[in-house]
Amino acid sequence: MSAGAGWARAQRRAFLLGLAPALIVLAAVTVGPAAYLVATSLTPLTPVRPGSGLDFSHPLGNYIQALFQSSFPHSVLLQAELSLLTVGMQTLAGVGLALLLDVESRWMEVLRTGFLVPMVLPPIVVAIIWKVLTTPDVSPAYSLLAWFGLRPGSLVTNPVTALPLIAFADTWEWFPFTMLMVLAALQMQPREQLEAARIDGANSRQMFWHVRLPFIRPALTVAVLFRLIDSIKAFPLIYVLTDGGPGRATEVTNYYAFVQTFNFAYWGYGSAIATMMVAGVFVLSLAIGRLGFGRDEDA
Amino acid sequence: MGGKLRRRAVITGAAGMLALPGKAPAAVGAKPLSGVTLNVSCWNAPYPQFLKKYIPEFEQETGARVVYTTPAFPIYNQRMDIALATHSDAYDVINVTFIYIGRWVGAGWMTPLDPFIANPKLTPADWNPKDFLPGIEAAFRDSKGELCAVPWIADIMMSGASRYDLIHGAGLTMPDTFDEMHKMLAAVSHKDGLPGFVVENHYGWTFLGYLQGFGANVFRAPPHDLMPVLDSPEAVQAAEFFATIMRDYGPRGALSYTYDQVTAALKAAKVIYSTENEAFVTQMAQKGAPAAPTCGFSLFPKGPAGRFPQIATHGWGIPAGSRKKDAAWQFIAWAMSEKLLLRMFREQGWSSVTRRSIIDLPEFHAKLNYNGFDVAKIYLETLNLADKGYMAYRTVPAYPQIDRQINIALQSVISGEKKAAQAMKDAQHNSLEALRRAGVKL
Repeated sequence: MSAGAGWARAQRRAFLLGLAPALIVLAAVTVGPAAYLVATSLTPLTPVRPGSGLDFSHPLGNYIQALFQSSFPHSVLLQAELSLLTVGMQTLAGVGLALLLDVESRWMEVLRTGFLVPMVLPPIVVAIIWKVLTTPDVSPAYSLLAWFGLRPGSLVTNPVTALPLIAFADTWEWFPFTMLMVLAALQMQPREQLEAARIDGANSRQMFWHVRLPFIRPALTVAVLFRLIDSIKAFPLIYVLTDGGPGRATEVTNYYAFVQTFNFAYWGYGSAIATMMVAGVFVLSLAIGRLGFGRDEDA
Repeated sequence: MGGKLRRRAVITGAAGMLALPGKAPAAVGAKPLSGVTLNVSCWNAPYPQFLKKYIPEFEQETGARVVYTTPAFPIYNQRMDIALATHSDAYDVINVTFIYIGRWVGAGWMTPLDPFIANPKLTPADWNPKDFLPGIEAAFRDSKGELCAVPWIADIMMSGASRYDLIHGAGLTMPDTFDEMHKMLAAVSHKDGLPGFVVENHYGWTFLGYLQGFGANVFRAPPHDLMPVLDSPEAVQAAEFFATIMRDYGPRGALSYTYDQVTAALKAAKVIYSTENEAFVTQMAQKGAPAAPTCGFSLFPKGPAGRFPQIATHGWGIPAGSRKKDAAWQFIAWAMSEKLLLRMFREQGWSSVTRRSIIDLPEFHAKLNYNGFDVAKIYLETLNLADKGYMAYRTVPAYPQIDRQINIALQSVISGEKKAAQAMKDAQHNSLEALRRAGVKL
């Protein structure tokens, strides 16, 4: 008995020793910078003031400033709106197209590949494509509309349409990710389940809600989570298309942090915003996991 | 060891190189800067593009290799701000951007250039540092009075019309006041489907002539009293006027026009009139430009409080972190030599020059006469106006933060999101907050 316990302890020690190099590297590349970020967020670090990086006299100063300053809460609300729009549109487009493409045919394979193109383009190229498309003077879309006698205003310079436009462009770029995840899940579904439902007289809507959706739910949850996290990191489209404007109409949290850090050199304050963003994403991920959407009911 | 040898080679070769500034140096024997790589960067503007064409001559004659980058204005400023703040040696010669002078020079991030200028081994006697316009050069002096950059541009704001024929056809001339400008725009805009007015969407720059023209200012009495006064009745009136002309006479998407888009639209005669930098508007007169036969120019219009054309300068400097300062100075001495600037003026039409000796040349006046409009006279009159000191707001270290608040406010008014009074009130509130955070005592 005691010999067995001793062997188990030795085994655990051996495993830990084996893991140690990987854990050390992981700590160095992830935990280290994260700890530095948090430490920096407790200082008023700015390169203009020497020694400000070691000034911990008001450790919560940046956080208090952020929470009681009008621009930061506003940017969080905009962020929520953008995330809701992009994740919603990408989920709908991704699931819809995956259902349409879930057919065995060589042409469908070609079509599937075609749909992946936006996702593999560098984000800055996507931003430039949309810049061209939304600039009335050079846009082929505007030329086409002019041919029909229509002269709509610019969508990027209108405070009402600027954010939805960013969400739409982001959806164009990233819906293939959701589509791929859902399509892979759909193709894993045993055909017998579908046949059985059909024999039982299920119509298309019932098939989707009661047979297909429960099956793809775990994959869909992962896709939504990934897209949600990515939506919080939205940057190139805003940088190229709107620069956070008009006014502050598209100054989401990530962009707000960028302006504070790189335009005004408030590195400590930018770190505080980044720390709050990391915490927010962590809580959000945890909440989605707790809600149980990812659990496979059949398991 | 190697570094010392290279440094010696640089100094030894300097005399030969500087004997013919402007025409790249005629080296005797080994090339003075062989093996030296200089990293040079400036934001993308007409001058750095003109200069690019001459850099191979510098490389060929000195043996140096020049890595020359010209990113867009905001990207350039962010990149340099970080490079300078971290004392990086990634750049040897950089442009000192006007609105960052307070920060970059004030923080000691730039190398004082006086020792290089005073060194006869590095600077030839005929380089004549006193030739640079003193009012412009003064912006680049630090608190000790040392020069930290050599100005390559004295950029003034003026009026330019790509379709003066339309203005003339309406029985009008180039507007001299805001009222005349409004009347002119109402008369000619959207005729032939052409929008009347556009300026670049950097309103912290393009709006300021209007703000001051209405009798308002950014700060109460810069540079000593930095209390912002952006919500004054005059400031609100200026914002209303500016937003009205942008909204009523601007092209679709006017808010998204960057300076290169404005320049392209003017050159192609796709927008009738603008108040922009001389370096941009005079490109309308370039040979082959669709606007060349019909363009016209005048002073920046005056408002109820007077005429306040904005004046900017940018200069070549050496970051404190550079490890090749001697070679870097030789590049600056070559780039800013009278002979090279004169060649750029004659061969490329570069006219926003900072050397008085070139401005005073009869050929400068003759060449800057486009369709009967004497741009050289406009240039000199505007530079004289700068002596009033109204540009003092711009070199305040915290100005970049206020610049963004003005941008946001004007975008909100032009897009119709907010009324001028509310937008300027918000700009005032946010500016106060930004200044307090920057440690400015109000």
